[in-house]
Amino acid sequence: MLIKVQIVVGLLSIFLLWTTFELVRKNRLREEYAILWLFSGVVVLVFSLWPEFLLSQFFARITGIFYLSAVVVITFLFLLLIVLHFSVVISKLTNQNKDLAQRYALLELEFKELSRRCFPSDRTPL
Amino acid sequence: MGNGQNILVIIPAYNEEGSVGKVVEEIHTHLPQVEVLVVSDGSTDRTSERAKVSGATVLELPFNLGIGGAMQAGYKYAYEKGYDIAIQVDADGQHDPKEIGKLLRALEEKKIDVALGSRFIGDSEYKSSVMRRIGIAIFSGVISAIVKQKITDPTSGFRAANRKAIELFASNYPQDYPEPEAVVLLHQCRLKMGEVPVGMSERYSGESSITRIRSVYYMVKVLLAIFVDCFKKPPFLRGEEERC
Repeated sequence: MLIKVQIVVGLLSIFLLWTTFELVRKNRLREEYAILWLFSGVVVLVFSLWPEFLLSQFFARITGIFYLSAVVVITFLFLLLIVLHFSVVISKLTNQNKDLAQRYALLELEFKELSRRCFPSDRTPL
Repeated sequence: MGNGQNILVIIPAYNEEGSVGKVVEEIHTHLPQVEVLVVSDGSTDRTSERAKVSGATVLELPFNLGIGGAMQAGYKYAYEKGYDIAIQVDADGQHDPKEIGKLLRALEEKKIDVALGSRFIGDSEYKSSVMRRIGIAIFSGVISAIVKQKITDPTSGFRAANRKAIELFASNYPQDYPEPEAVVLLHQCRLKMGEVPVGMSERYSGESSITRIRSVYYMVKVLLAIFVDCFKKPPFLRGEEERC
């Protein structure tokens, strides 16, 4: 029973690691976002190779859950961390996006004003 | 007012072609010496054209940023162009341009940084639903307690800001629920504000963004946002060593 779980979890983590690695290699995933994924892949892999691993034992003891559940819970914690990280990144991007849009509008207005002053005869509507 | 100060009226507008022209014209009639800037917040109708025809300068955002982003764009313009006073007016026509004079006078006489137009002080009769009034009463209570000063109408978007406040808002303007959050921000940055009774009329067109069913949800969200704001680090003001 345990070995089956180990094989499934191991394959999943290898798949995760390989996918992350390929995405980084093809420049479709930035390294800064890959680190959390790689780290969670490694942790899950370690868990599948050594079910008696310190952390899973510890986890099982304090929570009273079994090996598979411990793996699921830890994976879930990592996903939470990744999602939180993404929320932070999205907030930053939204802010930068807003600043860019405002700057763009201000520059466009300035530009129209300038071209209207420099070429008053030019009636092309901008 | 009018003693050599550059005054800018900022009107954020999102698809307000029905009323924006009229608002701009009215402002020009009552206050011929002020400049009017309409911030078209990614409008898809003829808002920009109407505003231009009426004689306003139009700042066109490439896409919709929401009222906070549009307002801040206006303040950035005011800051960069060196305006001394910026006045916020809604594009839907509920703010009477005749009342702008009161805001300007309060700014000067009371020596405050921001004058907030309020519907609820003085004799201004404002009709609204009971739900709405209860909501505003709760808001008013919470915000007054936070800023340690009586604020009767924290959701009013009819305001006048001096150079110091323009500078703050250009670099830092709340995005989610800008009107009540800006009051808290002003308090955190120790800028002085005061309320001025103003009359507000029915909107020319469009609906309030707050419908009755959603108003409770809206209130909870705003109170939460204000609560979070209280724990935020106050921003740095340009050219000052300490936090503002």
